[in-house]
Amino acid sequence: MNTAKDLLTIRNLTTSFRIKDEYHAAVEEVSLSLRKNEVLAIVGESGCGKSTLATTIVGLHNEINTKVTGEILYNNQNLTQLSEEQFNRLRGNDIGFIFQDPLSALNPLMRIGEQIAEGLLYHTKLTKQQREERVLELLNQVGISNPNRVARQFPHQLSGGMRQRVMIAIALSGKPSIIIADEPTTALDVTIQAQILDLLKSLQSETEAGIILITHDLGVVAEVADRVAVMYAGQVIEEAPVQELFRNAKHPYTRSLLNSIPQTHDENDKLEVIHGMVPSLMNLPREGCRFSARIPWINESLHEKKPQLHEIAPGHFVRCTCWKHFHFEGEEGGGTV
Amino acid sequence: MEQQNKEAVKFESSPPTGIQVVLREFKKDKLAMFSFIGITLLIIALLIAAMILNQEEVLKIKLLERYTEPGVNGYILGADEAGRDMFGQLIIGAKNSILIAISITVIAGIAGIALGIIMGYYGGFIDNLFMRIIDFFMTLPTLMIIIVVVTIIPKYGVIELILIITIFQWMGTARLVRSKALSEGRRDYVSASKTMGTSDFSIMFKGILPNLSSILIVDLTLSFAGNVGIETGLSFLGFGLPPSTPSLGTLVNYARNPLVLSEKWWVWLPASLLILILMLGINYVGQALRRAADAKQRLG
Repeated sequence: MNTAKDLLTIRNLTTSFRIKDEYHAAVEEVSLSLRKNEVLAIVGESGCGKSTLATTIVGLHNEINTKVTGEILYNNQNLTQLSEEQFNRLRGNDIGFIFQDPLSALNPLMRIGEQIAEGLLYHTKLTKQQREERVLELLNQVGISNPNRVARQFPHQLSGGMRQRVMIAIALSGKPSIIIADEPTTALDVTIQAQILDLLKSLQSETEAGIILITHDLGVVAEVADRVAVMYAGQVIEEAPVQELFRNAKHPYTRSLLNSIPQTHDENDKLEVIHGMVPSLMNLPREGCRFSARIPWINESLHEKKPQLHEIAPGHFVRCTCWKHFHFEGEEGGGTV
Repeated sequence: MEQQNKEAVKFESSPPTGIQVVLREFKKDKLAMFSFIGITLLIIALLIAAMILNQEEVLKIKLLERYTEPGVNGYILGADEAGRDMFGQLIIGAKNSILIAISITVIAGIAGIALGIIMGYYGGFIDNLFMRIIDFFMTLPTLMIIIVVVTIIPKYGVIELILIITIFQWMGTARLVRSKALSEGRRDYVSASKTMGTSDFSIMFKGILPNLSSILIVDLTLSFAGNVGIETGLSFLGFGLPPSTPSLGTLVNYARNPLVLSEKWWVWLPASLLILILMLGINYVGQALRRAADAKQRLG
């Protein structure tokens, strides 16, 4: 699974939060890799551990309440072992991060220009004037039409789309080789979403960066991703190239997700839903197939005792064996698929 | 055409800035506006007058001029039992009181802000440790301890007084800043700053601190009024400034003499009125600022 071309390799990463003196894993034994010039999408419902995974990669969790085990390898460095100071040299320079809500992720009392220049100040030896020039260049790059004025404005004076563009400019300021985008389009309306996604794509082809795109919007995934990892309850339950996933999804959870995309061609069509909800961190079943509780019509014996990822096609991994017997409720169980 | 463009630019940035909000609040609240102008002019006038005045001349004892009534012999506000000019003493005393209160506010403010931000930002053990220390200081009977310390210290002057009061004044600011920094420090823009590789120090003092400025201005204004009160109160009790250095408190202290209290009103009344005006004015200003800082309470 890991080749020499990998930009970022995550091995057996577990992030646990302390709740009442007990550690509960929000991300459990996740192994993923990101290659150069690739968009890796991570999908799943709310509470599946997507954002926790992202924030773990950039080391945003404090050591008091969280425990991180496993490896995140970048340039032969294990990010989980870095000190705060070593990490600060890397963050903003090699790894850029785009937040979900651009309004709360921008300091309300700092001018846009200053916020973009912040990273340059810490990571480059540019003079003040060179930094200002670079800020205007970055704003231009992310498609802001009058960078001179915007650089002097405050976040509240910009529209949502412009703020997200500014966030992207900030993430790009250090010319990162990895960009992590945590639901970058969730807070935006649909037309702006498309613009932002186009922007991300075009920037990626320019910079050849690897992008980890976290989202719960499968439309976004189909649009921009190269590879997809589906997460459920802290685990990766299916990983495949994007075409393969949409054509040939195997895991019951992935199939249920795809099945619940609203269909617009028939107005009498009922919206399909997945029963139940993601179990909370403390009530998470740690043994057996974690999705089994939400597909009760599938016989318990069809799940693996300790579900592992199986490679069923080149680059296509599925956890548990229950997919072989899965059928939607109301359909006839067709033996093996 | 040019004109139109300018207008358009003006309207584009519609949400009012902090200063505009404060100005609007003061326009609505005439009392606060009046207080602000009055207090500013008064303090500036007092400080300038105190610089011009010859302090030795004012404090020279002239027994012949004892209890001169106001307006007689060039004594604008009369003289006290030692024949010292009350007007001059009032100005020097007010200057001393105000400067002491400003020093206490600044020193305690800096200590409280720095500690509060560190506690709120890091949380955990550091937060717990300092909160317990603050709780400890809060439970101490401030006045008693200040009085004891003042009596024990052999050489005792303005600087010692400032330091002693400061020791008991930083906790309120620290607690306030801590609670605000605690919520502010968990906001996304702090995480975003971290992903840029910004150091903790820069995040705390360049990122979070400006976002606390509204409550800080209010807190410091109101604690300034409080500090004027504490200093004058201590001096009144005889534990503040030594008698050789006049302050508003020592002037009011003369009223402990029944004769002065009942018949020589000019010795203590001006100082008392000045304290009243200062405290009321600063509090009105502080309250207007507080309303401006909280959108729910705003008048304008």
